Amino acid sequence: MVNRSNKIFLILICTVAVLSLQYHPAIAQDDEDGISTVLTPGNKNAIFDSNAKYTFEVKNPTDAAQTGTVSYLITQHGKKLGSGKQNVQLGKKSSQKYDFDLPAMKSGFYKVDFMVNISDYDDTTRRVFGVKPEEIRSKYAKPADFDAFWQKAKDDLAKVKPNFKVTPMPKMNTDNRKVFLIEMQSLDNYTIRGWMTVPISKDKNRKFSVLLGLPGYQVNLLPITGLDEDLAIITLNVRGQGNSRGPIDTRRDEFIFYRVEDRDNYVMRGVIMDCIRLVDFVYAQPYLKHDNILASGGSMGGYLAIATASLDKRVNLCSAQNPILCDVNNLDGEVTWPINDIKKYIKTQPGLTFDKVLSNLNYYDGKNFASNLKCSTIMGIGLLDPYAPPYNEYGTYNVIPGKKRLLVFKDLGHEVSQVYKDLEGRWMRDAFALF
Amino acid sequence: MNLPKTTHLKYLLIAIGLVMLMPNSSYAGGAGGFPVRPKRLLLSPSFSYFYANKGWDSLRHKTPFADNGRFQSLGFSLYAEYGLSRKLTLVALLPYVRNTYEDNTAKTVSSGFTDLEVGLRYYLANINYIYYFTIQGTFVQPLYTDLSLGYKQQGAEVKLAFAGSGKVLGKNYYFTVENGVRQYFGSQGPLQDRYNGTFGLTLDRKFKHQISASISGFYSTSSFTKFSPIQATNKNFAFNQASLTYGYTFSRRFSVFLSGGHFINGRNTGDGTTASASFLFKPFR
Repeated sequence: MVNRSNKIFLILICTVAVLSLQYHPAIAQDDEDGISTVLTPGNKNAIFDSNAKYTFEVKNPTDAAQTGTVSYLITQHGKKLGSGKQNVQLGKKSSQKYDFDLPAMKSGFYKVDFMVNISDYDDTTRRVFGVKPEEIRSKYAKPADFDAFWQKAKDDLAKVKPNFKVTPMPKMNTDNRKVFLIEMQSLDNYTIRGWMTVPISKDKNRKFSVLLGLPGYQVNLLPITGLDEDLAIITLNVRGQGNSRGPIDTRRDEFIFYRVEDRDNYVMRGVIMDCIRLVDFVYAQPYLKHDNILASGGSMGGYLAIATASLDKRVNLCSAQNPILCDVNNLDGEVTWPINDIKKYIKTQPGLTFDKVLSNLNYYDGKNFASNLKCSTIMGIGLLDPYAPPYNEYGTYNVIPGKKRLLVFKDLGHEVSQVYKDLEGRWMRDAFALF
Repeated sequence: MNLPKTTHLKYLLIAIGLVMLMPNSSYAGGAGGFPVRPKRLLLSPSFSYFYANKGWDSLRHKTPFADNGRFQSLGFSLYAEYGLSRKLTLVALLPYVRNTYEDNTAKTVSSGFTDLEVGLRYYLANINYIYYFTIQGTFVQPLYTDLSLGYKQQGAEVKLAFAGSGKVLGKNYYFTVENGVRQYFGSQGPLQDRYNGTFGLTLDRKFKHQISASISGFYSTSSFTKFSPIQATNKNFAFNQASLTYGYTFSRRFSVFLSGGHFINGRNTGDGTTASASFLFKPFR
């Protein structure tokens, strides 16, 4: 049993949670009393209209004067695009700021390394900045039959009798919440399970707004409790994960390419339909508000939130943190996961090509779901994200037609900070009138 | 998801507004800041006391009332809010007062219900879901015939409010700033500007103890400029008041607020001292 904030970090996976505000400069130092640097972008999110601007400060608390250089190197896809250098002459116990006006760049994201090489200290600070990211659009179009493909999937799901089952788990109850194991049949008659926690209320007729917590990759979601009085919190373990393992019970790295060679049987087709079935579950419960449903998740959960809210208009709010599988044709060369695992799998399958896999994945591309995402949406990204690169995330965000807001965390990788979670809570409460 | 904090702050602000009720009027100072949850009812009875034995004249000179005169007012009011929808809140205030003016020669007592107020508050916008803007339209209906209780005129008010909350120095703070313009109908019905600014801090993490400070005031203009120590009958006057409030939350359904205030300056008005106790009930949480 874990509380909600802890759970979100589980969903986000992969990296150590660093609670940080958005505008903390990057600080590097060798030891407490040693030489250190502070890198501060000219824009709080490191997003620029043309020329990126940075201030690189070198602090020298030592008794030795320092000489050398500070410099930068801009790259994109491993290609050097620009560099610059300034001489450093730093007296003992002093500091100096060096302003860098980087060359104008066209719309996109760029890696930039700032180096300090002085008498007693060498260090590199690696960052990413964006230029006019609102102009980013993927050059890869949505398949013409994308909508028909997913309508067919939903039609197939509708043929499966859900057999919703809600089992009280009194030993897991907390002081203010009842815990239930939920169970239902999804696509291919697969049994999926999850958890629902409902605030204890004296008003037996009270209906609760709903938070759907969608899972990260291979995460076993547990009941989410906490102090909230207004929300029923439902966490779903999609097929092949947590307590919904069964016929699909892969090794951790195999799940992402399970049946990827077959567009109509790729594991994500069932996974996304599991999420749609969960919305069916909400609609089947009289004590849940059917018009107050938030789908939220991080990483794969963020991707599932986008897909679910796009395919099922019964979802009222969508919150996607670091969604993976966005603009899949542009992931190769940008990320190691999941591309490398998929390529390894392709080598084991005679006749299967990477192009064929990409062709199939076009039907599962977060960017293609996003273009039909009409409910109010918030999205959070990290500019240093190694699995959900900012270019791909912006390419997805930019095509969302509904009301939307993006929070950029320039110093974070595959995570968002508490700033996002706080905003998500306030935004949800405002939209659901939970004042 | 921050519900307890938001909810507590909102109701605290409302209560603080209520304890600042003028003895003869219906100024629910801090009530206008936040939207209210649909179908949620809030009830707040308040007791207030006002005392003045001196006042400012039209030239802002402060002098004792003639013949050792002193004015005091005991008030009881019932304030209610009901969330109609996400954007709309119904607001009502029913005040009752007992005014007493006494000097060396005479004693005048008047009592009764005064101006009933019924209004609608509309949630305009927010900044980051932290700072809220609302606008409120209020209709004023006198419930009396005795002119010592008020103007005996219908009126209307439009009020804009800005409210928010956050953290400062490790404490949760909240504030509301609002300004209302009220016109009493009739040939000499005053046009009034009523304003209030409140800043408060919660003293503990469970939101049990709160304190706040407020500055509020009236600026009232009318062609009727005569001054009376019975504040309710003055039409051309102005004052500023400072107040301090302590609040204690017993449960999610019940809180108590105690407030004391004093007029800072004024024109054509008594130099008042106020005290009040307000109770906040949320019966259908």
